[in-house]
Amino acid sequence: MRLEMVWIILGMACVTFIPRFLPMAVFTKWTVPERLRWGLDYIPVAVLSAIIFPILFFDGGGSLHFQSRAVFAALPVFALAWFARSIWGCVILGMAMYWGLGFLL
Amino acid sequence: MNHHQFREGMKAATPIVLGYLPVALAFGVLARGAGLSPLEVGLMSLLVYAGASQFVAVEMISKGMVWFPIVLTTFFLNLRHLLMSSTFSLHFNKVPLRIVALLSAQLTDESFAMAMADPSKIANRSSYVLGLQMISQCAWVVGTVIGAFFGGLINQEGYGIPFALPSLLICLLVLQIKSSIHLGMMILSGILSLLFRWVLPGNWYIVLTAVAITCAGAVTEMLRRRE
Repeated sequence: MRLEMVWIILGMACVTFIPRFLPMAVFTKWTVPERLRWGLDYIPVAVLSAIIFPILFFDGGGSLHFQSRAVFAALPVFALAWFARSIWGCVILGMAMYWGLGFLL
Repeated sequence: MNHHQFREGMKAATPIVLGYLPVALAFGVLARGAGLSPLEVGLMSLLVYAGASQFVAVEMISKGMVWFPIVLTTFFLNLRHLLMSSTFSLHFNKVPLRIVALLSAQLTDESFAMAMADPSKIANRSSYVLGLQMISQCAWVVGTVIGAFFGGLINQEGYGIPFALPSLLICLLVLQIKSSIHLGMMILSGILSLLFRWVLPGNWYIVLTAVAITCAGAVTEMLRRRE
């Protein structure tokens, strides 16, 4: 096992455990402040968007470039997720689109 | 330890197990494609045990391993567990701390939803929750390791497999969009992440986008409620 991977896993384990454990450990009437709660609601949207958008608009070298194959595969996946909410449908459609577009573009 | 409760919890975990297994297999295959060994996959599932963060981490690892941005991104993504944990805690005020530590380490969106569907089943019944969560995590760990072995057998470059992980993440993103504000935040996050990605080195654009959107979200809610 690679040392850097061990550090990644241990680091991830710590920062995942703390927010799960802390409120349970203190057992007081402490509740998450309202304003923080409002902000927390948008973090998954922010992180997932920040992962996906650069895949669509950056090339491997880190310069801004419209990735037509990825974008045209992503659009139907987005639509399917919106209307059918099926993780497996999305994965299969995305793979098929990306594979097929490889012959066309 | 109450064996009757534990078994009851194990049985209640069935729908979670059925939901986890296919996703776990997919995680194993994709993590292998990103260069993780089956042992690394198993260790991550055992110690981290957080689906969305694991997929995001694997995507980041595939672009180059830098531990700090990956850990920080995981931290932000899992901050939402604060809310679940503080709700959960009210039901376990008579349970010893070491058991509570174990219960909270295995807290996920799914086990939380399952346990909260009938709070009378979980109130100070730690064995029930332990049974439920143990079986769920077992399914996750075993599923991901099997996926990782299987992932070593297939050509990870063929048949559109490089786009499997982005497709899955797109679906997870869409499932998070619960209102028009979420949709707006998605577009804002997209623009910000492109901007940050353009001007900053490494993986920092993800963390910065998360911080900016947390603030933007809190401010937006504040303005909305004042009206």
